[in-house]
Amino acid sequence: MRINKDMKMAEVIHLNHHLLPILNRFDIHLGFGERSVETVCLDHALNIDFFLEIVNTFHDPSYFPVRHLQSFKASMLIDYLQKTHAYYLDLKIPEIGQNIRQITQEESLQNSHKKLLEDFFDSYQHELTTHINKEEQRVYPYVISLENILDNPASTVEELHEISKYSILEYEEDHGDVEAKLFDLKNIIIKYLPTSKNNKLLNVILHDIFELERDLNNHGHIEDLILVPIVENMEKALRKRLNKLSSNA
Amino acid sequence: MLNRLCILLIEPSFLIREGLKTMLSNLGNPYRLEEIDTPLDDLEKHINRLHPTLIMINPLLIPTMITLPRDPESDFNPIYIGLISNGVSTQTKSKFDNLLNLDGDRHELFKTMEKVMQQLGTSQTETDNYTLSERELSILKLVALGNTNNEIADRLFISTHTVMTHRKNITRKLGIKTVSGLTVYAILNQHIKMEEIQGS
Repeated sequence: MRINKDMKMAEVIHLNHHLLPILNRFDIHLGFGERSVETVCLDHALNIDFFLEIVNTFHDPSYFPVRHLQSFKASMLIDYLQKTHAYYLDLKIPEIGQNIRQITQEESLQNSHKKLLEDFFDSYQHELTTHINKEEQRVYPYVISLENILDNPASTVEELHEISKYSILEYEEDHGDVEAKLFDLKNIIIKYLPTSKNNKLLNVILHDIFELERDLNNHGHIEDLILVPIVENMEKALRKRLNKLSSNA
Repeated sequence: MLNRLCILLIEPSFLIREGLKTMLSNLGNPYRLEEIDTPLDDLEKHINRLHPTLIMINPLLIPTMITLPRDPESDFNPIYIGLISNGVSTQTKSKFDNLLNLDGDRHELFKTMEKVMQQLGTSQTETDNYTLSERELSILKLVALGNTNNEIADRLFISTHTVMTHRKNITRKLGIKTVSGLTVYAILNQHIKMEEIQGS
């Protein structure tokens, strides 16, 4: 079922409570009363179409966003993507890490096994952080300056030329290994870690990993299906403008 | 190959697309899917963008394409499935790796799709056992100790290609994809000792 602007926000949560962290990223807090999705978005000065595309891609992984792409600002999208990064690095990863360290403090595990699990998680954390940093330090700044230069009618030919040397496709990178590590961690815990007495905590860890995995998949999906097409459109507009300038000159 | 199943579906009929999606879901494989419902002549562009594992095409939407894009140098060559009805020419049929007869009955459709899933190594209905063979175990140990595929091939007097096939099977059986994950597995199961990997 697709989420639409006339639904009550409370209904949306009943439909899929996994959307709660997504609402947090939009600074939407609970206590919706009977207000509709549209009203809540208006209250928070959010672009309703943008909000709907984001929640629908998360709610249904086969949903393909196309309708309103042109009307979104890339900066809007990047703001959202940065908030998801912060959610991973500041909240989810430390939370999982802390629980893993608590598990490894258990006496029932051999010392070498404790270290193994911790090291594996640390290397995952390291890879994810490196990947995110690269996006934040290289990809996003490029997209933002491209948008700024295009939005400014007074941008000089030099500025246009300089930015046209880059392309979003060059930044496209395989998330493969980072994804695979998280997948492995799941199976190591589910299948191969010797039984721990603290089953409860292991369940919490697994639950968190599944949620994180789903969120990361959606993040990648949004980058591939919304961000990249928007930037490609901007790059097209940039080439047009450069062509026009050179034919006028 | 080890990534999630990514499918490009090129078919004009909404009903057929929805039907195929339902079928794929019933097969129990998680997948990502992108749909195209209009004729196209830039299939390569979509392939480069998505790296799909599977492309399902109604030949009507690629009228100008005599052969389908395949790159012998590349690691990700998609499997092409022709979405055909009765009466499609043999020449058209021969472009594809597999054919899905849209006029076929439920049994035939599922059988074809299961065959394709098996080719992709993602089938959930496989019945082979999940314990490692002797050979796989010795390869697992060498991988866990940090050897490359080439080093393993030299050591065991087999081709690199064979090593890769064994590795694929190991990953499928254990559900572990990365080298560091395999190392953790090997130590937890006492196939290798922690000390052996120190320094490597």
